[in-house]
Amino acid sequence: MGMIGIHSDIERVLISETEIQSNVSKLADRISADYTDNGQLVVVGILKGSFIFMADLTRRLSVPHQVAFMALSSYGQTTTATGAVRIIMDLRVSIEDRHVLVIEDIVDSGYTLHYLLDVLRTRRPASLKTCVLLSKPERRKVDVPIDYLGFEIPDVWVVGYGLDYAELHRTLPYIGALKPEVYK
Amino acid sequence: MILKEHVDHVLIDEQELLARIAELAAEVSHDYAGVDNLLLVCVLKGAIMFLSDFSRQLDIPHAIDFMAISSYGASTKSSGVVRILMDLKANILDRHVLIVEDIVDSGRTLDYILRNLGTRGPASLKVCTLLDKKEQRVLPVPVDYVGFEIPDEFVIGYGLDFDELYRNLPFIGVLKPEFYE
Repeated sequence: MGMIGIHSDIERVLISETEIQSNVSKLADRISADYTDNGQLVVVGILKGSFIFMADLTRRLSVPHQVAFMALSSYGQTTTATGAVRIIMDLRVSIEDRHVLVIEDIVDSGYTLHYLLDVLRTRRPASLKTCVLLSKPERRKVDVPIDYLGFEIPDVWVVGYGLDYAELHRTLPYIGALKPEVYK
Repeated sequence: MILKEHVDHVLIDEQELLARIAELAAEVSHDYAGVDNLLLVCVLKGAIMFLSDFSRQLDIPHAIDFMAISSYGASTKSSGVVRILMDLKANILDRHVLIVEDIVDSGRTLDYILRNLGTRGPASLKVCTLLDKKEQRVLPVPVDYVGFEIPDEFVIGYGLDFDELYRNLPFIGVLKPEFYE
């Protein structure tokens, strides 16, 4: 691919559109098999990063489900495992006694997801699982359960398929590594 | 529960949707060529599917922002006034804003959102909707880009729900009356 125009900040394609779509299909198949027709599944997307993953994943699910969104923001540097995350927009549905699947674009330190799971667990869902497109294990500071994972990636700055750099590049159809000169 | 069995007929199939969305994206990319601060504003949740496919096909730089709204109930229905549950993260002063909608019917809510965003001084403010149900229109809202004009039927799929179901169908279908009556 010639890296011109909106692709000019991209050093290389880390995961191609074809690879992403193939893995998203496999994840959707696994999830559909695991949640067979329980009628109570709520799929919770965390904005903004997960919206493309969420759209592609949910349209491939063969089990009935509701979609819901949350928006979070950190209170600054989230550097401790107990650090609270600000809920900008909470769920509109009650998740008590419902099966909840949290959709995240990426997990690096794990702090945000760890906190979010703590918050959701207090609401007594019937079950609580996570589906994550990208994981950066080298960056992990706190253990978080990832039940469905798309890809493990190295510790490089990635954009595309929902992930941004300063609000740009979010809608590239692939995951790209950003040129270091862009963010340095 | 097999949701596809609730569909009376497919109004727009997946191929037609994706082909038309590619055309819309080309048109928008052309019209906003040279604009470096385009912001796509998506009103949750119905437009998520459309937004995700449409934005991936744009070949101009753009950012994405979301709003969540909720109705105040029947008493304010005619005014279109809605409660903003989550406002935009971005300041849109002097920015080119394109609202991405799944469907425009009466136009009341869209009219209110346009008036609301218009007070914030955007450089431009336009609307791109996947579906347009013109027969239902009560207020003459400007709609700049339209994917499909559709008849006044109960449509679901590709982001549109009935009672939170059917959003994930990959096509636009008409719901069988026994499931909403």
